[in-house]
Amino acid sequence: MSILLIVLFPLIGFLINGIRYIISTKKGTKISSQQSGMIATFAMVLSFLVSVYYYFQFNGQSNEVKLIDQNLFSWIKIGAFHLDFALRLDPLSLLFSLIITGVGSLIHLYSIGYMKEDASPAKYFSYLNLFCFMMLNLVLGSSMPHVFLGWEGVGLASYLLIGYWNLDVEKVMAGQKAFVMNRIGDLGFLIAMFVAYKYVGSLDLIEIQKSTMSPFVVTVFTGLVFFACTGKSAQIPLFTWLPDAMAGPTPVSALIHAATMVTSGVYLLNRISPLLIQAPQVLSVIAIVGVTTAFIAAIIACAQKDIKKILAYSTISQLGFMFLACGVGAFDAGVFHVMTHAFFKALMFLGAGSVIHALHEEQNIFKMGGLSKKLPITTITFVVGWAAILGIPPFSGFFSKDEIIIESLNSPYGNQVLFAMALLTALLTAFYMTRLLVLVFFSPSRMDKDVEEHVHESPLVMTFPLIVLAVLSLIGGFWHHSEGAHENSQMIMITSVAVAILSAGFSFYRYRKFDSEEQTNNFIENGLGINNFYNNFFGKGVTIVSKGLFRWIEAGIIQNGLKFCTWAVEFSGNVLKSFQVGSVQVYLMMMVLLGLSLMIWVLQGVMHGVLIYGK
Amino acid sequence: MNDPWLMLIVSCTVFVIGLIGVIFRKNLLVVLMSIELMLNAVNLSFVAFSKIHHVLDGQINALFVMTVAAAESAVGLGLVIAMFRTLKTADSDQIQMLRD
Repeated sequence: MSILLIVLFPLIGFLINGIRYIISTKKGTKISSQQSGMIATFAMVLSFLVSVYYYFQFNGQSNEVKLIDQNLFSWIKIGAFHLDFALRLDPLSLLFSLIITGVGSLIHLYSIGYMKEDASPAKYFSYLNLFCFMMLNLVLGSSMPHVFLGWEGVGLASYLLIGYWNLDVEKVMAGQKAFVMNRIGDLGFLIAMFVAYKYVGSLDLIEIQKSTMSPFVVTVFTGLVFFACTGKSAQIPLFTWLPDAMAGPTPVSALIHAATMVTSGVYLLNRISPLLIQAPQVLSVIAIVGVTTAFIAAIIACAQKDIKKILAYSTISQLGFMFLACGVGAFDAGVFHVMTHAFFKALMFLGAGSVIHALHEEQNIFKMGGLSKKLPITTITFVVGWAAILGIPPFSGFFSKDEIIIESLNSPYGNQVLFAMALLTALLTAFYMTRLLVLVFFSPSRMDKDVEEHVHESPLVMTFPLIVLAVLSLIGGFWHHSEGAHENSQMIMITSVAVAILSAGFSFYRYRKFDSEEQTNNFIENGLGINNFYNNFFGKGVTIVSKGLFRWIEAGIIQNGLKFCTWAVEFSGNVLKSFQVGSVQVYLMMMVLLGLSLMIWVLQGVMHGVLIYGK
Repeated sequence: MNDPWLMLIVSCTVFVIGLIGVIFRKNLLVVLMSIELMLNAVNLSFVAFSKIHHVLDGQINALFVMTVAAAESAVGLGLVIAMFRTLKTADSDQIQMLRD
């Protein structure tokens, strides 16, 4: 066994499906979704099994043993600086690998059913495997450049999959937006690497963790890494790409934009947690950004009409919770929430996919309703996901979310404001999630008649992952042992559950008999105008600067300079042209004149010599 | 006529006359004749230098030049005739095809 296998299987799957896709386009044959889907799923399952093997390997071991390094080859060697291309497995990366490969396998399986009618399933599955390969590189990489490789790789895969249906310009634009927004964050990662290189002299993550940098450098380094995380994990200020990313196929949203890629920011913050503890200012910024993101995203989610957009904002909100946990120093709680969130949010996305699939690409929740009778399995599993995100005991979300809320008050970095905001967000979460659940599954049907007739439950290949994820959402919370409970934690727990249930009850009461479209606030629905602000401020700003540059630099200096060059060449050409008259006799005369002047010149030199040296 | 330096002056004068003829006369036949004039001027200077330095090389060279000049004038005349046949003119102003 080697760790390499975890990474290798998705790569092999990617290559097989990629080559199959290329061959099929050359030959013009069609590949079935079953075949390519099975290959991709099989690769993921193998990778998952290897991860499980290591889980049992680590189980019951002491903490010092739980670290496996596997050096693949020497990567960079410049003078004294040396960097190996190495994989490293420790409990944190193992947990992430389990989530990626486990939830990933289920979503691959689900995709077989979801992409059944797609024109190029081999391409889709090869992208999906590429994503998993890159994501595993991200969490298993031992050095910052290696993590960055995965970091960029998942960005690429995300871009490819958001714009997967590339005949639709809007979807392609959404992919570009995601890519560009991520790029802004990546700048932070790059500069953080430069800082680490200069002040630590090594890019190995353990070396960086152990290093002793001055407080200022630590603050700069962690701040930059945090900025990179805001891009990947869709936090303020770089969160606007995630709702647009919903343009991709729904399983992609479940895998990349809910369960795995967007949590890589939390992973990275955990990786540098020993340094973050040394930079309390950065920690408090993380907490404030996290809780603000959670709160704002929850508000926006309340006014959305698109089922996937609601889930997208909900994801942003939950990611905010994870960042809050990291910001108050409760890194374990953050990671725990990553895991439970991966279960229930993937479950809800896949459930939403099942609904969308059944309703023939209808995504507006006000054109659904009463689906509980027609989609029983989807409904039951979705209710489990709903209970988990609300934090109702004993569902998994209860354990992780309440731990974060408790820590936001009790931890040495927490305070009442963070706690109040977190509680308020939990209240809003319960409201919009119940709104979604009731409007889709329980309220009177608002579907078009011809759509309603064709509604059917999804095939087993799609419902099976739903059931597994529902079970995981139910029991996932018991994997974690919370230690050292404060005396007030029970009170907080009861408060937050009560808040969630009250809010859910209000929402249920409000939407249970809804039979028309709700008038939502446009301003909130459009994401509090943040998109517009970015467009007007940065988009137009860049446009104005570019136009200025075009007018003054491009048209003014460069173009006129080029014009002068052409004029100079033309002018000298014209002057020289006048010598070419075509008459032999004129040429001869020129020759004679030239010879004469040469002779005079030489004679002058001779005369000069005679005068000077007297010879 | 025993002063070789006088011969050189005559040679120089004849050479310049020939050169001016080549450059400024428009009739190609006259141009050819002017070339002969220049050649003969050179011959004269050969002979003069031969006399100054008391060696025979110059006189031998002069003989060579005469033979070459005979051949040259035959070829040149042939060219002028050919040109006159195709272009119907022997005026050098009309013959400016080198330009294009």
